[in-house]
Amino acid sequence: MKKPIAILLCLVMVMSMLSACGSSGSTAAPADSGTSGAAPAQSGSAASDPASAQGPEIVYVDADDSVYRVLYSSEVTTLNYLTSSNTNDQRIGANTVDTLVEYDSNGEIQPSLATEWTYDDEAQTWTFKLREGQKWVDTTGAPVADVTAGDFVAAMKYMLTPEMGSTTAQNLFGVILNAEEYYNGLAGEEDYKPIDFSEVGVRAEDDYTLVYTLETPVPYFLSMLTYVCFMPAYGPQLEELGASFATSADTMYYNGAYYVSAFEPQVQLVYTKNALNWDAEHIYIETIQRTYNAEASTIGPEMVRRGEIDSATLSSDIVDAWMADPATAPMVSMERPSLDTSYYYCFNFNVHALNENFYRDGMTGWSIDEKYEPWNWEIAVNNENFRQSIRYAINRLSTMYVATGDAISPDTFLENTITPKGFAVDPVTGKDFTAQSAISEIASFDNFDPDMALMFKELAMEELSAQGVTFPVKVLVRYNPSTTNWDNQCVVLEQQLESVLGADYIDVIVEAGPSENFLSLVRRSCDYMLLLCNWVADYADPETWTDPFYQSRNEDGSYHRGFRYAYMAYAITDGTDSADTVAEYFRLVEEAKKITDDTDKRYAAFAAAESYLIEHALVVPYGTQVPNFVVTRINPWEGQYAAFGISNQRFKGMKLLDHYLTMQEYNNSAISH
Amino acid sequence: MAKYLTKRLLRSVVTLFIVTCVVFTLMRAMPIEGYFQNYEKLTDAQIQAGLREQGLLDPLPVQLWHFFQGLFRWDFGVSHTYRTNVPVTEILRDKLPVSIRLGCLSILTSMVFGIPIGTMMARHKGRFFDKLGTVFIVFIQAVPAAVYFLLIQLYGTTALGVGLLFDAANPRCWILPVLSMALGNTAYYAMWLRRYMVDESNKDYVTLARAKGVSENAIMFRHIFRNSFVPLVQYIPSSFLNTIIGSIYVESLYSIPGMGGLLVTVIEKSDNNMVQAIVLLYATVGVIGLMLGDILMTVLDPRITLAGKAGDR
Amino acid sequence: MTLVDLLVRSKEKAAEESLRKSLAAAYDAAAEGSAEEREAYAEKVSGLSADELFGFAGYNEAESERIGYSNYSYWGSTLRMFFKNKGAVFILTVMLMIILFTIIQPHLPNQFDPYAVNFDERYIAARNVSPNGTYWFGTNSIGQDLWARIWAGTRTSLIIGFSVALIDAVVGIVMGVLWGYVRRLDFLFTEIYNVLDNIPQTIILILISYMMSPSVKTLIFACSVTSWIGMARFIRNQILIIRDRDYNLASRCLGTPTRRLIFRNLLPYLVSVIMLRIALSIPSAIGNEVFVTYIGLGLPVTVSSLGSLINEGRKVMTVAALRYQLFFPTIILSIVTISFYIIGNAFSDAADPKNHR
Repeated sequence: MKKPIAILLCLVMVMSMLSACGSSGSTAAPADSGTSGAAPAQSGSAASDPASAQGPEIVYVDADDSVYRVLYSSEVTTLNYLTSSNTNDQRIGANTVDTLVEYDSNGEIQPSLATEWTYDDEAQTWTFKLREGQKWVDTTGAPVADVTAGDFVAAMKYMLTPEMGSTTAQNLFGVILNAEEYYNGLAGEEDYKPIDFSEVGVRAEDDYTLVYTLETPVPYFLSMLTYVCFMPAYGPQLEELGASFATSADTMYYNGAYYVSAFEPQVQLVYTKNALNWDAEHIYIETIQRTYNAEASTIGPEMVRRGEIDSATLSSDIVDAWMADPATAPMVSMERPSLDTSYYYCFNFNVHALNENFYRDGMTGWSIDEKYEPWNWEIAVNNENFRQSIRYAINRLSTMYVATGDAISPDTFLENTITPKGFAVDPVTGKDFTAQSAISEIASFDNFDPDMALMFKELAMEELSAQGVTFPVKVLVRYNPSTTNWDNQCVVLEQQLESVLGADYIDVIVEAGPSENFLSLVRRSCDYMLLLCNWVADYADPETWTDPFYQSRNEDGSYHRGFRYAYMAYAITDGTDSADTVAEYFRLVEEAKKITDDTDKRYAAFAAAESYLIEHALVVPYGTQVPNFVVTRINPWEGQYAAFGISNQRFKGMKLLDHYLTMQEYNNSAISH
Repeated sequence: MAKYLTKRLLRSVVTLFIVTCVVFTLMRAMPIEGYFQNYEKLTDAQIQAGLREQGLLDPLPVQLWHFFQGLFRWDFGVSHTYRTNVPVTEILRDKLPVSIRLGCLSILTSMVFGIPIGTMMARHKGRFFDKLGTVFIVFIQAVPAAVYFLLIQLYGTTALGVGLLFDAANPRCWILPVLSMALGNTAYYAMWLRRYMVDESNKDYVTLARAKGVSENAIMFRHIFRNSFVPLVQYIPSSFLNTIIGSIYVESLYSIPGMGGLLVTVIEKSDNNMVQAIVLLYATVGVIGLMLGDILMTVLDPRITLAGKAGDR
Repeated sequence: MTLVDLLVRSKEKAAEESLRKSLAAAYDAAAEGSAEEREAYAEKVSGLSADELFGFAGYNEAESERIGYSNYSYWGSTLRMFFKNKGAVFILTVMLMIILFTIIQPHLPNQFDPYAVNFDERYIAARNVSPNGTYWFGTNSIGQDLWARIWAGTRTSLIIGFSVALIDAVVGIVMGVLWGYVRRLDFLFTEIYNVLDNIPQTIILILISYMMSPSVKTLIFACSVTSWIGMARFIRNQILIIRDRDYNLASRCLGTPTRRLIFRNLLPYLVSVIMLRIALSIPSAIGNEVFVTYIGLGLPVTVSSLGSLINEGRKVMTVAALRYQLFFPTIILSIVTISFYIIGNAFSDAADPKNHR
């Protein structure tokens, strides 16, 4: 499969123009993204107050003694940045290991460890010249060795060794030549025979020349390089320690902006500025003191008020009260908003426990407990009028309000499309994806309309009664109890839906899911009926937003399940009432995917597919991630920024303010970005 | 005496063995996710291979045998999700001393406060001090610790002029956590000591002593207190364990790196090896605590000869 | 009698004391009835010869009836004793009112649904509203009426408490009686006891709450799975003590069936302690619920309980204006807890037949 270079270069341009650049976020789209950390943004998305005048100049603390103190309640599981796909763990790598390239605060790619790079005509062989004289330092900050191209190769070999249990290695598959073959060969998978590592597409030409060979042209390759799976590690040390690499602060070396000077699990994690870093002059905060506290959400704000720490997240329970108090109101600001995540309500089209990959004991026949009458739901969900009635009955403002409170208008974060506004802008015409004529109407259309909902209810009741559906239809809504506010949002949703549609029609049942492995036990196992799902973009193209819905076919004609969380094909294979609708959507997507030489046409085709998806209520768009309210002495707009990956977790470039960032300063910064 | 001690020790060992077997067997019922750092992303083949490698597909008795072998090598396996690949013993080694220190301090504090309060209450039975103590005891019993611990932290730190978080180097930082942890036991000791002393003071020998003209103070401290203290002693070792487990509130509020919240944390992360090790550790401390309590009683009170009725503690 | 007396009644001591009292009472009662006769008798006997003095007494049928029959009613006396304790009666009244109110509260006019989020016409929730005329206890952080939630929560917590108490009592008594009476089972039970008693209850509570999905049933199970053993052991010990007392020995010699022995001779003696344990297990079950909720393994949001209310309140505790969300449920919890302690102790005192006169 060789894509024309034109579209490739187009996409590369998209990537560099857009703030939303592609990096492959691990296995994207957890439904429980509560842990996802700091966040990227589009220009001015949170600038709710653009009229505000330019504030007084921001005053910073003297750089030499700037200590940034913060509490955390979620401990890292490992320091090993080569194996963990957990956002929380990746903060370590982000701050202590430099990558070939990095982002600036405007989301543009800049050289970092690589000073220059070239690629061949096919864009399949990339050659990077490394910055010379870079040092690995140990946990005391003392230099140990030079950073060489071999360190990148060693790290990749480590990741592609199955025993090391890297959970991000999959991101290399299909990108780096033979990465998948090598990994699966070592893992002893059927159909794979062991191959030598020299056949894998990574090579150190000399100490300062690194060459990657790709399996296929990857338009977003450069942005991938900032992700953990392309990070280097000191080769001899990896060799020596193997699986016990990075089990503590002194079993790893650092070459990034900071080194971990102390790590005591559930006590503290201290980052100290690495003065030997090539860009040390742009590292402003000397020390980052992270202290563990299980009650950080309760204690944190109080400690900020007493000046004992410099940053805390305000839960939505208390943010109103902080805003209402004139003493604390000026201290409240927000995290930088995110654009790479889209939330939407998913209908479950597969209530059968067919997915042997995620089969769990005690699951027989139905993927949902029989007390929720999944057979009833199966008929109902495949009736378009039923789905439409729910679509029109969902008032997203009321659930969004749970997360925002009065502090910011809830509609700021609503999205009427799956592809967030501003995510994909046509590099040629400059037209946003959501402005495509096929979807522009939907993009400005709020689904909430009780009259329409009731109209569809009448239609659905009539049709479904004839099919033997008993009313009220039970609608099982699940949430992850460890995700802040999700529980409360479900409570609001339940009540709001029932009040619009009537308890004679649907009976919304809210049930907590497991807090660990929610994704595999609920979303992948189809143990829900209506679920607020999310998807994290994997690359800067609208196609990424079809991944959670579209299912390709295997060679034998069956639909591919893979790791995509998509189950709509069951509507087709089961021969349900919505078979034609789903089939039509799949056809539209396939058509759009074929267009690779004209971005406008491609976008238009994807817009048509997405519009069809929403119009037929196969899914109900919800919104983007609501950034947390915070009191903080750093300005999130000064840090590195990318739509995906770990750049946003980096402290490099941020300065410590002598006061808490105000909303006005925040907005001013937002406008200038 | 020696015979009794041997017997008591042997019985504790047997109990511990049974407890270990039961806990180990129960742990096999835990979800297998807890044996992998990244269960969600593994294929079935990888999971099976991992289970085989960890010996989890062996028959239960074999697993148990391996486990006991490991015990003698002081090997509890490694943590999977809490701190990947770090030996369980190493994690516990860091945490235990803190908990033990806090636990001892708080037990000591509660004795320092609880015993005088209980004595004074008994001495002034029905009068003001008794009533004041009663209010205190009732308050501690009725109000959830989670609430008053937080109040103590918020107001106490302001009053003492210390930070909200614990700092081992600053002696003043020890006051509030230790005090909070001691409150429950203080009330407990005071309550029972008062009870025993009031009961004791109704006994005939006290009346006799009084009739003989022994001073009220001498009766109180030489006779009543000494006799009432004996049954209280039995509680002390086991209240130590409860203090450590109960320290979860205090530890999470003050960021104290102890054992208190560890069990809950590893359960939430379903780190099976850690859960197993901690439950066994607590069970061991529990067994030893009960045994110590019994032995202390025997030592302190010569009237008690447990040898005759072993089997009924 | 002070609260502490009520809180911790040492049973052994009480037994000793009241045994003396009841003996005296019995003597007085016996003496009272025959006082006139004795006087007359004394007059009569003075100056009689030895032969006349020490003759054989005749059999008096009426007398023997009077001794063999008493109008003593156990429950009647128990209640009479209990109602003598004015403080306990007052607290009982408060308690009953609370229980009654948790039942009738939803049926009163102008009540909110405890789980309903209160929206305005734009479906915007009335969040964190301080107590006012509409929302008597204010609303919580998503706009649910705290007044209704507190009563619903009290209801849930009381259901948990009462269920645990009931299971404790039934299982504990049955097992305890078996343990005490069937010697073959003694070894088995003792080992079970050793194991269960050596693993701290908190740990079992945490483990079970984790392994089973959070629900009221899980909590009840987790709380009662170990607590019955305490009750059983107590019953067993008492049975061992009482079983070989003279009156039971006599009963056995007379061929009384074991079952009758247990139910007529043993259990009544234990009612007071059983009552106390039941009463105390209610607040301890509620306390466990608060703990389990605190560590995040408690009930789902769709079920209000005192534990979850207190936990929600704790989260907003640092903001002074929102503290009402913590204080209201804490106050109710404290009232319920204290009440059960006091009523339990007072009732167990009253139920002890040795205290009856």
